[in-house]
Amino acid sequence: MPELGRAALAATLGLALYALVAGAIAARTRRRRLADSAQTALLLTFATTLVATLVLLAAFARNDYAFVYVWELTSDRLPILYTLAALWGGQAGSLLFWLLLLTIYSAAAVLLNRRSSRDLTVWVVPVLATVMLFFSFMLVFVSSPFATQAAPEDGRGLNPSLQNPYMLTHPIFLYLGYVGLTIPFAFAIGSLLARRTDERWIVTTRRATLVAWTALGVGQILGSKWAYEEVGWGGFYAWDPVENAALMPWLAATAFLHSVMVQEKRGMLRLWNMLLVILAFALSIFGTFLTRSGILSSVHSFTESPIGAWFLGFLTFVVVGSLALVLARLPLLRTRAKLESLVSREASFLYNNLLLVALTLTILWGVLYPIVHEAVVGEARIVGPGYYNFFLKVFGLPLLLLMGIGPLIAWRRASLRGLGAAFAWPAAIALATGAGLLALGAGSSIPGLIAYTFSAFVLASIGLEFVRGTRARRALAGGSWPAAFSALVGRNRRRYGGYVVHAAIVLLAIGIAGASAYDTVTESRLARGETLAVGDYRLTYTDLVERQGANATLLRARLDVARGDDELGVLEAGKNAYTVERQVSNEVGIRTDLLTGTDLFVIAEQINPDGSVFLRVFVKPLVNLLWLAGFVFLFGALITLWPDAREQRRLALRYQGTDVPARL
Amino acid sequence: MSLALLLGALLAAACVVLVALPYLRRDDAPELLDEPGELERRRLELAEARDRALAALKELERDHRAGRVSDTDYRALVGPLRREAAEALRALEPRAAGAQRVKAPPPG
Amino acid sequence: MARKRNPARLIVALSVAAVLAVFLLYTSIAGGGTPSVSPSELRAQPGTISLVGRVQPGYRGDSYAGGLRFRLRDIKGGSTRTVTVLYTGSVSDQFRAGREVSVKGELRNGTFVAKKDSLVTKCPSKYTAKKTD
Repeated sequence: MPELGRAALAATLGLALYALVAGAIAARTRRRRLADSAQTALLLTFATTLVATLVLLAAFARNDYAFVYVWELTSDRLPILYTLAALWGGQAGSLLFWLLLLTIYSAAAVLLNRRSSRDLTVWVVPVLATVMLFFSFMLVFVSSPFATQAAPEDGRGLNPSLQNPYMLTHPIFLYLGYVGLTIPFAFAIGSLLARRTDERWIVTTRRATLVAWTALGVGQILGSKWAYEEVGWGGFYAWDPVENAALMPWLAATAFLHSVMVQEKRGMLRLWNMLLVILAFALSIFGTFLTRSGILSSVHSFTESPIGAWFLGFLTFVVVGSLALVLARLPLLRTRAKLESLVSREASFLYNNLLLVALTLTILWGVLYPIVHEAVVGEARIVGPGYYNFFLKVFGLPLLLLMGIGPLIAWRRASLRGLGAAFAWPAAIALATGAGLLALGAGSSIPGLIAYTFSAFVLASIGLEFVRGTRARRALAGGSWPAAFSALVGRNRRRYGGYVVHAAIVLLAIGIAGASAYDTVTESRLARGETLAVGDYRLTYTDLVERQGANATLLRARLDVARGDDELGVLEAGKNAYTVERQVSNEVGIRTDLLTGTDLFVIAEQINPDGSVFLRVFVKPLVNLLWLAGFVFLFGALITLWPDAREQRRLALRYQGTDVPARL
Repeated sequence: MSLALLLGALLAAACVVLVALPYLRRDDAPELLDEPGELERRRLELAEARDRALAALKELERDHRAGRVSDTDYRALVGPLRREAAEALRALEPRAAGAQRVKAPPPG
Repeated sequence: MARKRNPARLIVALSVAAVLAVFLLYTSIAGGGTPSVSPSELRAQPGTISLVGRVQPGYRGDSYAGGLRFRLRDIKGGSTRTVTVLYTGSVSDQFRAGREVSVKGELRNGTFVAKKDSLVTKCPSKYTAKKTD
């Protein structure tokens, strides 16, 4: 069966090559049948890649260790879900997964637009085919999942740190995000190639961009939760290059999503939007290059592999090619509209762009600095979290504030009186909150206090928007408050869904500030019966227990938790010893206080032969807001994504041919 | 092993056939693709400008009703916006009509 | 009336200047990164440095009582020089002989004295080009 997999991938390569060449010729010479043929080839890549994927999944399902890839990542005792998820657990399989998602996204984009945007689609096909060509080339010639060997008795097994539900979900979301950014990029490039001056490419790809951006965001939250619970050092983000690899494209995509609103409303920032979408896509490729090439020292170590050089070459081609095209088509990107005032919504979007890009570039520099320094000076260096955290505050706090200002400021020109009226309430609430928190002792961290104050401002302005909007709706159409509220959101999904997403980001900011600026940590060695005090909590070490799990021995220290006069139950922390893989994993104990969102986080650093344990205990206030933020984020994104029939009709009317008279 | 090769060959053959389909079918549609000409591009630009002007007006009304924009500010902004919208509509009408005339097939 | 120049360009230029200024200020104060050396390159030098190497078999001690003593050797290359590290603090469960680690500290009297909790152990290879371990 591996031959079928190889053949299917070769077919994908051939189809991608044809779609590129034929598609490019067809677009240039406007040959309809050739364009249709190229389009079919692009759609067929999904079928052939699916065949290859199914061959690999079938090999996993029957534990066929003749496939080297299956042998490397699974074993007979591995539960079936992790066996199948091993598809993305290694180099070659994850490339295949990437390619599969790319073919799905591309097929959907082309099919949904084959009739309505035909003249744009003819140019998009060769661009998508180019990306497909690269990945299928990698899979056929550089890193094949179908390498075979004489089948050993059992597989090597999956790293125990990967055997958790996060392994089943986090990579899927991340890949949906990374790959999805190809679609707006392809349409942008296609639009330039077709010498179009309209916004069709933005309108067409809006949903795909949102899906990709949402998936990338959710994927990162899942990754943070994974790090928090399973890796268990007490933190949730380490500014490791691999983590930054996902954050950078997400930030660029955030800037892009906001910036296109300005182009839509005022026809401005057209060059910005082209550059932002190229940046987002380039960073997604760069991210995967970072994690695969082994070029950087990272806690997640991936071996140095020749694949890095190929990715770098492709990335260079993409960046140089795209920028050259933008330069050549610069006259098309000129705008007629001008920024009328520095205090306007257009301007605040511009500031938003600047801050997000600045943050993205500083993170990028932090990632590249060790490589550059070593290449130029010859000495290796490491960039620590201090650098990143500093710039996160410098750029992140103004961004937080802008989230509250932007929606309240008028387009074109905001009068000072208007500003005063709009900001009065939110500013008052924010200042009151800040003063109150200061009184409660939040002054121990100035950035934390600022973050909380700004958060209050944003939440107040969002709340005010919902109230004002509902009141106006009710004044217009009558009805009850709930009815007016749902009508309001239903008719303005993008705006109010966006506000919900902003609220999620604020929750994230509050959670991060609480957990990192206001946390407490204590460590001590405890013998049986001894107590440790941290924050408001008291932990008493009662017993050491050993249990047999499915594929590991579980060793746990049992702790009685108390706060004040209340007995809060038992918490366990310890280690798992995996028999087959001969590895030990850290299993932290977390007790979540649902009322305050605070976590009591216990790490059993060391279990000594005499039965004593060395514990490190954190009290992390508000950390659960991070996970709540993930849900709110998803909810808000779904609201904005929800199809709006009226908007679709309006857009269809705008882009129909000249045989329809311009009707309002 | 031979089953795999057979399936692989079938897959490849199916791809070739499907890709060549436009050339194998009898097709009377015009060979050249419609490409938006200069006129159509201009029309699209104007249509977008029109939509922007109308949307801006609508948003101003909505903001004013919701109390986000004061009466003074509203009065200052609504005039120019209305003019812009009117201009955009005017610019679009004769073009549509003109384009229609161009599209009509020549007699005979 | 004279046409107002587009302020957008000005804003962008000012912002870029501001970012660069903040950046330069930060790096001049906080320094550009921590030097990262391998055991064969290690010399006595002022300031904290990051030592990266492979753990040699035969380590002893308790990182929470008296300190963990282990030896590091270059990950790559033929150097046989090993450096003894004295470490206190948190030790990852991934830590064992043969693993790649990095630790911050400074060289004192022939022993690399590590900063507390600065030990980072790399996860075993996720994407393997060849068999390791």
